[in-house]
Amino acid sequence: MDNFDWSATGFRNKKDAHTMKGLTIFLYEWKHFVRSPFKIVATVLFVFAGMYGLHNGEKLYQEQMGVIATISEKSQEQINKHTLFFDQENPSPENRPWVNLSMPDWAIWYTRTYHFKTPSPAIVYSIGQAEQYGFYKRVNYMSSPYDTDMTKEIANPERLQTGTIDFAFALIFLLPLLLIILLYNLKSMEHEQGFLPLIEVQIATKNIWLMSKVLFYFVFIYLVIVGLLFYGALLTDVFASSGSIFGEMLFYSLLYLVFWTIIFFLLIRKGSGIMENTLKMVGIWLIATFIIPAAVHQWISIEKPANLMTDFIDASRDKKEALYDEDDSVLKARLSALFPEIENSALFMDNSRNKHAFQESKLALLNELKKENIALIEAENTMKNTMVQNSYPFNLISFFQNRFNKVAKTHYNDYQNYRNEIQYLVDIQLETMVVDLWNDTKVDKERFTEYHEIFSSKNLNQN
Amino acid sequence: MWKIIKNEGKSLIRSKVLLGLSIIFFLILLCSVLLGKLQSDKQMQRSNLAKKQLRNQWENIEGMNAHGAAHYGTYIFKPSNFLNGLDEGVNSVTGNVLRVEGHVQNEIVYAEASQMQAVSKFGKLKSALLLQYVLPLLLIFLAFHSISSEKQSGRLKLLMLQGTEPSALVWGKTVSVWLYGMALLTLTLIFYALFNLNNIDTEIINRTLFFYLSYTLYYFILIGLTVLFAARANANLALTSMLGIWIIWTVFLPNILMSSVTNWHQLPSRNQFKEAMKEERSQGIDGHNPYDERVLELENQVLAEYGVDSLSQLPINFDGLRMQADEEFGNQVWNKHFGGLRSILSQQKTSYQLAGILNPFISLQNASMGFAASDNFHHQEFLVQVEHYRRTLIKALNDEHAFGGSKTGDWDWEPDKDFYKSVPDFKYQNTALDNILKNHLPDIMVLIGWTILIGLLLVFATKKMPIL
Repeated sequence: MDNFDWSATGFRNKKDAHTMKGLTIFLYEWKHFVRSPFKIVATVLFVFAGMYGLHNGEKLYQEQMGVIATISEKSQEQINKHTLFFDQENPSPENRPWVNLSMPDWAIWYTRTYHFKTPSPAIVYSIGQAEQYGFYKRVNYMSSPYDTDMTKEIANPERLQTGTIDFAFALIFLLPLLLIILLYNLKSMEHEQGFLPLIEVQIATKNIWLMSKVLFYFVFIYLVIVGLLFYGALLTDVFASSGSIFGEMLFYSLLYLVFWTIIFFLLIRKGSGIMENTLKMVGIWLIATFIIPAAVHQWISIEKPANLMTDFIDASRDKKEALYDEDDSVLKARLSALFPEIENSALFMDNSRNKHAFQESKLALLNELKKENIALIEAENTMKNTMVQNSYPFNLISFFQNRFNKVAKTHYNDYQNYRNEIQYLVDIQLETMVVDLWNDTKVDKERFTEYHEIFSSKNLNQN
Repeated sequence: MWKIIKNEGKSLIRSKVLLGLSIIFFLILLCSVLLGKLQSDKQMQRSNLAKKQLRNQWENIEGMNAHGAAHYGTYIFKPSNFLNGLDEGVNSVTGNVLRVEGHVQNEIVYAEASQMQAVSKFGKLKSALLLQYVLPLLLIFLAFHSISSEKQSGRLKLLMLQGTEPSALVWGKTVSVWLYGMALLTLTLIFYALFNLNNIDTEIINRTLFFYLSYTLYYFILIGLTVLFAARANANLALTSMLGIWIIWTVFLPNILMSSVTNWHQLPSRNQFKEAMKEERSQGIDGHNPYDERVLELENQVLAEYGVDSLSQLPINFDGLRMQADEEFGNQVWNKHFGGLRSILSQQKTSYQLAGILNPFISLQNASMGFAASDNFHHQEFLVQVEHYRRTLIKALNDEHAFGGSKTGDWDWEPDKDFYKSVPDFKYQNTALDNILKNHLPDIMVLIGWTILIGLLLVFATKKMPIL
């Protein structure tokens, strides 16, 4: 063959001939595809599932944005109403004469500070863990990121357990199935019908023939995914939010598709019959998507069973009592260590006038206690997350799931950041309250408005 | 037919690939049983420890008046049933901790799923995961292979010429693969029982029998359908069709139908729900606001009842009565709103159960969770029991505050230490089997309906079976 005159075939050399044949096979696979109703139906179902998932993501985005808008509007009404109380001689709400809004603690209690986990437009791609957490919270100086109102939206637990089809679900679980359906009879059909030796005679290498066919479906599916990603981007205006979201989704989708295509290509290359190939491909899919992640989940639950938050409960009750029972001098020393600025305040040395300030300031010490116990809970959660991450080398499905969740800002860490922001706002409220109480500040309309500015979520980015 | 079943059994044992696959699968099942048991035990251990700790705190309350204790409250941890080791159901998404306190009915919080990043979309490696998703697929391949191998080898032609009835053949093949599935299911449950011998009682046996029945019916449906396709259609079409059906039944439809029923019967948003309750709650007595007009009305009523002119002359503590009046009004509000939620959830469940007519996998999942005591019915039942306990507890505390010996305004009065010990702890009562059967009758009926349909199809649609 080395002395073969390739010019007679119209090709310059063997390499050109192979490339051309590969291209022909690649293009010819389209005909195979359109002649297979089963493959067309499977592709249409995949597109349907993808679009359905995108619309589910968009629905959640709109719902959360709607709730946030309603709460913000109501909160603003409350702020306006409460501000008007300062026009009275004794600023107090109706029917609550014991409330004195000129005192910093009451005034801060009556600020309406809400903090939201505003959904990213990229939620259209992956709902992720968004349905497991709350996304709004009214923050006051007694709040904590683990308060019971931080719970998820009201939902049917069986729906949460079944899960919502989002785009990431279609991609992670249905894409490999689509690939199986598109690839299951490649080579094995020719093998069973006895055409394989004929094909081997007609083409120089069987690998290029098979590769060209697989490549066709790879390109075809990727184009479908790109189309779906683009469609999703239009639903929640992903492009206006950040250009990197679309790019990251393109990249990880490609990576995921490459992963499955290589696995299935190798199986088809080694395998022979349709039944054998299908069984192997479905088997690998089951192991990768069901058994490995489920086994990792089970292992983590055995190592670290669900936290019942007893540390946090203790901090809110018995440890709190123990703290409050400590000697005043000890507590005062702790307070001044926490807020050194109060040592020069008007009331610090005046024990006859600082009882109220001292009593309310204990909340700041309680907050520190809660933070210490929250740290224990979060350390356990971090350990669980580390265990999940350590499984990634053999648990790629969880890796991709969490990558998509990160892009969509629906990952555990995004909600952890949200909890950290809430804690920051609580700290700021407490600091402001303590300093103002010890300085004997009388809150007026101006200071009340300042409080809203200080506690605003807008300040979070600067810190 | 018996001969066919016997022959199939022999060929299952003779085939090294199949035997190997069966052993591997059984080992995975055994592993899931062991891990499920281990995880349930660990969770129960943690839960019992926490429960003990909280009870101890409650019994040793000091320096607190009875209403203060109502605010101090307690926490109830969701008990885990040992059958949860088979099917975890909704437990990982519902939360585990419920605060019980005066003035408010709280929601259960701190779901396990919220305590770490996403791992598995289909839950932990429990037996139910393998029995619902993996074993059916294996049975599909076996059922398909049992017919298509006869066709491809030409034995089918021979069998027909020898006078074998097509329906006897397909029934024989169906039953033999079904028995194989049953053997794996039975072994799984036997091992589960062996690991949990101490926990077995009549109720558990009954639940397990219904659990077993649901799976036997579903496996028959799936195997029968595969044999039917394999007998009627060409090999490729039969296999791809069954794979398609499996994907649609187990991956697509449960999600889509569940989303649809939750859209038909919509739950309110948390914000709407809370605002509506707050609004209605504000119409009633406010136990902590002595300026409240309704409090003054109650005060006049009580003064008249005792024939005195002022609260200080009362032999009882009016504050306790006021708090209990507040509580009782609150209870009506909670009944209305939480009852509304439960009613919507129940409508959703009924509609979803009907969806089993389209997809028997839904009926299997419902029945599996239900008989393993881990579905939403059981979860709601737990919440209702906790709320009843809360009401009894808070009433006992308010009564102690009112009639225990203190006078109105005496917030420093503390009940006897034994009083807190005398308040019974929460004890979860298992849902009666009658109720479970009533709740899951539609699922069982749908599975029976599907079984009859497949049985009839096996008889009538295979009378003229293509033999090539």
